[in-house]
Parts: sequence; C-alpha cells; structure tokens
Amino acid sequence: MKTSVFALSLLALGLVAPGARASLTSDMKEGAPSFRAMSQLAFGPEGVLFIADTKAAAITAIATGDTKAASGQVAIKSEAIDEKIAALLGTKADQIIIEDLAVNPISKRAYLSVSRGKGPDAVSVLVRVKADGQPELVSLEKVRFSRAELPDPAADTVVESGKKQQNRRLEAITDIAYVEGKVLVAGLSNEEFASSLRAIPFPFKTVARGTSVEIYHGAHGQFETRAPVRTFVPYKVGKEQQLLAAYTCTPLVQFALDDLKPGVKVKGKTIAEFGNRNRPLDIIVYQQGGKDFLLMANSSRGVIKVAADQITGASSITAKVADTQGLKFEKLDWAGINQLDLLDARHALVVRGAAGKPQSLETLALP
Amino acid sequence: MIRRVGPALALAFVCLFASSELWAVAPLPAIRWVTEAPPPMVEASGIPPDLLRDLADLGPTDARWARVFPVFAEQGGAGPLPPMAGTWGVNDGNARFTPVFPLARGVRYRGELRLNGEVAAFSLFELPIDTVAATTEVARVFPSASVLPENQLKFYVQFSAPMSRGGVYGHVYLRDAAGRPIDLPFLELDEELWDLAMTRLTLLIDPGRIKRGVKPLQDIGPVFEEGQRYSLTVETGCIDAAGRPLRTAFEKKFSIGAADRTPPDPARWRIHAPAAGTLAPLMVEFDEPLDHALALRMIRVLALGKERRLVAGETALANDEHQWTLTPTQPWPRGNFDLTVERTIEDLAGNNIGKTFDVDLLEQVDRRDEPRSVAVGFEVK
Repeated sequence: MKTSVFALSLLALGLVAPGARASLTSDMKEGAPSFRAMSQLAFGPEGVLFIADTKAAAITAIATGDTKAASGQVAIKSEAIDEKIAALLGTKADQIIIEDLAVNPISKRAYLSVSRGKGPDAVSVLVRVKADGQPELVSLEKVRFSRAELPDPAADTVVESGKKQQNRRLEAITDIAYVEGKVLVAGLSNEEFASSLRAIPFPFKTVARGTSVEIYHGAHGQFETRAPVRTFVPYKVGKEQQLLAAYTCTPLVQFALDDLKPGVKVKGKTIAEFGNRNRPLDIIVYQQGGKDFLLMANSSRGVIKVAADQITGASSITAKVADTQGLKFEKLDWAGINQLDLLDARHALVVRGAAGKPQSLETLALP
Repeated sequence: MIRRVGPALALAFVCLFASSELWAVAPLPAIRWVTEAPPPMVEASGIPPDLLRDLADLGPTDARWARVFPVFAEQGGAGPLPPMAGTWGVNDGNARFTPVFPLARGVRYRGELRLNGEVAAFSLFELPIDTVAATTEVARVFPSASVLPENQLKFYVQFSAPMSRGGVYGHVYLRDAAGRPIDLPFLELDEELWDLAMTRLTLLIDPGRIKRGVKPLQDIGPVFEEGQRYSLTVETGCIDAAGRPLRTAFEKKFSIGAADRTPPDPARWRIHAPAAGTLAPLMVEFDEPLDHALALRMIRVLALGKERRLVAGETALANDEHQWTLTPTQPWPRGNFDLTVERTIEDLAGNNIGKTFDVDLLEQVDRRDEPRSVAVGFEVK
C-alpha cells in the first residue's frame, strides 16, 4: 500500500470533503460483497477502500463511511498485532496471514486485510485497528460497494461444446493504487510469464473490464524484461502524473500514466538500481522541508530513502551496473518492516517483526 | 461468589450439589461448551435475573456483551487480547455465544462470565491437534524432462493434496551436483503462486538470473550452467492444508543443456490426423517440450464449417511434454480442421510464438497488431 502526497494535498485543500461534489460512491449498490481472497488494499478519496481479490481476479471498492477527519495527532501502536487478530478470529497467530495494511488518509485509521487459515479454505477478513490498539472486524454484510473484474485473459471466439478444460490460471495481484480517477492494478500470472499493469476507470462502470497493457523496462543492458512489478506509487513530476514502479530485482522504473493505454507497448525508464538479492515491499511518497521523498521498504535491504527531486532529469540506466546506480539513496535503520504506509504528513505506519516472531503495528516518524 | 475455581467439570459438580441440596437457591454461575453439533456455542448460566433481562435487550454484537461474557482464543504472548468475534443472545434463561468462525484445533479457548467486574465462572475448551500421520507428497514436477535448457524459466510442483501458504520458499531448493543449494534461485513472492485448489505451486526462476547481460547475472551468476547437473528438492517442511508435513521429501534430478532462444513455431510440429469415424486421438508432436500448463490450456482444435466449432474431448501431454493428444468425445467427421495455438504459449525457456523471452532492443519487435493465436490446418479423411 502507498499513499501519495497528491491525495494528502487534496485533503489539505478540502477538495475531497464528503458531499462537496458529485460523490464517488453515489453509483454504488448496498449489499454484501463476496471475497475469495482479499489481498492488496488502497484508499481512494471519500473513504473508499479498494480491495484486490486475487482468487476472483477482481477489485471491489467499498464505501467505508469512515470519513470523519482525525482530530489531532494520531499515534497507532499495537504490540503483537498478529496475536490480537488471531485472538479476534479464534485461531493461532501462525494460522493467519496479514496480507496488506492501508491507512485511511481522512480518519488515519489502519485497515488490514487478513487471511484466516493458509489452505484453500482460508477465509478473508477486513480488520480495523481501534484507538486502544485492539483490532475489530469490519462488517461487510451491508455496505455500499462496486466491483470491477480484471480483463478476461483468454476470451474464446468459438462456440464451446463439451467439457471445458479446468483452468488453473490465477493472477496474483501484487499492488493496487488509486490515482486521478483510475485504479491501477499490477499482477502476475501463475502460468504465463507476463507482468501486467491495468488501469480501471473509477467509479466502475456496469461492465468495467479495464484495460491491460504490457510493460517493459529497458534495464540491464540492452535487453528488455517483462519482470513483474512488485510495488508502485503514483508521483507527479512537474505537471505529469507518473508511476514509479519497483521490480522484483529492485530497479526503480518511471512510467507516464498517460502512456498506459490498451494495445500500446509501454516502455519505462529505469532511473535507479538499488541492488540485488532483494524484493521491494512497499513505497510511499512524503514531503519534508518542502521537498518530496520516497521511502521504500525491502525484504533484505531494509528501508531506503530517496530524494525525489533527483527524478526530474534523471538519466536512464541502460548499461550493466555493478551493484547500485542512478538515484542516490540513504539506508535507514528500520529493521523488520513487512508493511508500510503513510499515516500522516510526518509519520509512517508499519507492521514490523522478525520472521516467526510477533508482529507489531508501530508509528514511526518520517526521516 | 466462585472465582477461578477451575474447569467446567468442577463447576458443573458444584452446581449439581448446590441445586440438589437447596433447590430454592439460584444456580451458581457456570459456563458450558456446546460443541457436539455445529455451530459450536458457549452457554453461561446462573446469571442474576436482572442482569439477564438487561442482556436480553442488547443487540447480538453489542460491545457490552463482551464485558460480561467474553470468550477468548488464548495466545502464547503477553498483553490484553480482544474477545473472539461472535454473536450473543439469551436463550432459555442462559446467555449464549456463537463464534463467527469455526473452532480451530490446538487453540485453547476460554469462556468467562464476569459479574460485578469479577470473573464469576470460566471454562476452557480445546480441540485436540490432528495426529493423523502425514500422507501428502509431491506427485509430479513439470517439466518432466531430465535435460532442461540453461534458461529454464519455471517449475510446477504438483502435490497429492491441498497445501498451505506461507514460507514455502524455505523448503524448496535447487542444488548443484555437489548438493550445495543455489543462492536465491526463485522469484519469491509473498503471495506464492498456487492454483485455486492449492495443489500446484509455480516456481519461477528469478528472471534476473536467466537473462543475458542482466545485473544479478553479472554479480551472482546464472542459476543454471550448461553441462552441469542439478536437483530440485521439496523438503518435508512444506505444510499441507491439514497442517501436516509431507510424508516424504521429493527430489528431481536433471542436467542442463544449451540455452533455448528459438521461439516455438507450430509450423514445425507434426500433426498425426486420425481416421474419420473413429474416436482415435489426434496426436501432435512438438519439436521441443512446451510448458505443461500452457500446452494444456492454449491448444485447441476447431472444426471448419459454416461456423468454427471447438472439438470437445480430453487433452493430455506425454513424452516429457513433447506430445499433445486430443481424444474426442464424438467420432471425428470428415473435413478440415484448424489446430489453433495462442501466441502466448511458452516453451521451457518462456519463449512465445514469434518472440524470444529476452528481446534484443536493437531488433525491432512489435507484435501489437498480430492476432491472438496462430492456426495450422489438417484434414480428417
């Protein structure tokens, strides 16, 4: 999950106050949306929470109604949040998976998507953290929602007859974000080796199938790669809305949002190499002293901070690099970060803890 | 007031004794687990009548319920835990709690009745851990061949029963001929690439380590080198959906041949057309092994006539994914057919039709306007 300063600045200007204009939720219907496997989360304006469903290949938008602005400084802390959630769900901490963390930019409340169980019968739940640090279930029995299915990867134009081959294809959704009326979805198939980034207009239309583009980055010498996007963040460079996407072997690649159109081969510009033997986990953008910074959590290289003013005019990396190249970065001593989101203008919210140890939810001052 | 007297059995005894001697005295507070039939429930009895009347007015998820009658799933660590999610109600003079989720094995549950802020009664309940012996194992690994290209892209591990997610990469290894594990060979994704039934795991070789001129390749070398021997091992620490380890570890040994940078081309395949009027399989021989999952999903046969009709039947792969067959459900009619193949089908190195896995930017490659599939015709006589 990530939040951009763009969304925060809109909030600061009061542009997304509920009811101030045509609501994004007015076309939603009320009911109980079904989920097979909640994974990535992202907040849009008006307390709308986007929930990716990997097994159903769909994105559900929910009007959380959580639209009351936080009063004063919010500091969220919850020791052993995994044990607390397991207790709420009536199971053991090793039988849940915290899939993602997202902070509602209006209320500053933390939402977590959680799997209860690890097998095919696992149940997905949405959890919110109360002021006392205890989790509570977010009831999805009666909510306003809308849903968009990801484009069908294999539409048949022939008349089907007889038994269909069992389709075992699934698409793991690695990240989602909302930016300027679009929900962006990065995914990876368990069969074809193809990475996709889709832009789905929001509010979702009745049959919103979105569009799919194939993306490439020209990293690593002269060869293109279709490696999967692990995490990305919308970021404005000048007047142009850009996406900064982190790949599995940690190059940082820049795309123009306007380029993401169906049927177009989009080529990104590689602007940084942060080193190998590593997986990026989350990126957030924040401001400090009038300057923008990126914060990127990684599996083995810890959390790194990048001054975003380097992005404008950054040169494209096209040659082989020994270890790291491009944007300069600073490594922070934030250990064991597994989930990262922006809490407010000065703080990040993280889920942290070593593997096999209790995970805690903590508020950290932005560096 | 009874405080922390012990498990429900002891409480039940006390209640029985008390009620038989002094029938007019109100029953003592007690908790009882009702787990014989689903859904499981917890019942609290001996609640003072005025409190019971107040509780009866509360909604089924009112926060005040949990102050009087919380049920906990105990955890190992310290710290206050939230009560389990569930619904409460009053039934036959007792309070009743029904958890949202089914009870899990190996978890100690604790129901408490709190009167005037004190624990008046509590009861523990635990379903024993399933001790059935491990039965799940690796059934197959694809590709089946014992010689793989240097730029081999992925493995499918087929288990005999559903598995559980989380931490699988800690139990799957690629080892060299000396038995040394290869450092970080797989693209590790938190989601892990399972199918819906969670019986098949997809392992992708880190694409950064199978490409030419790629940075990780420069630093830590490729995963595979031509002429060397390797093994893929799946250790028993992989946990199945029932929480048990594998019955036995699995090992697939293979050697590595030359890199494959030639895209698959159906024009090079040999089609053995069956005779009309029979249920004989149509057999297609590839000139190289293809990706198991994609070859089963992306190859179809269309009968050409007024409308293009899909020929229904059972498809299968054989001969180390070199051979594809379609056994029809209806006898073959005479006529012309198309074998259609989606362009995104892959060989073992991830090359697609008309496109190698790693594209040289100096060559102009653009397949935007190409049709989704290619077709090769054949005739049934």
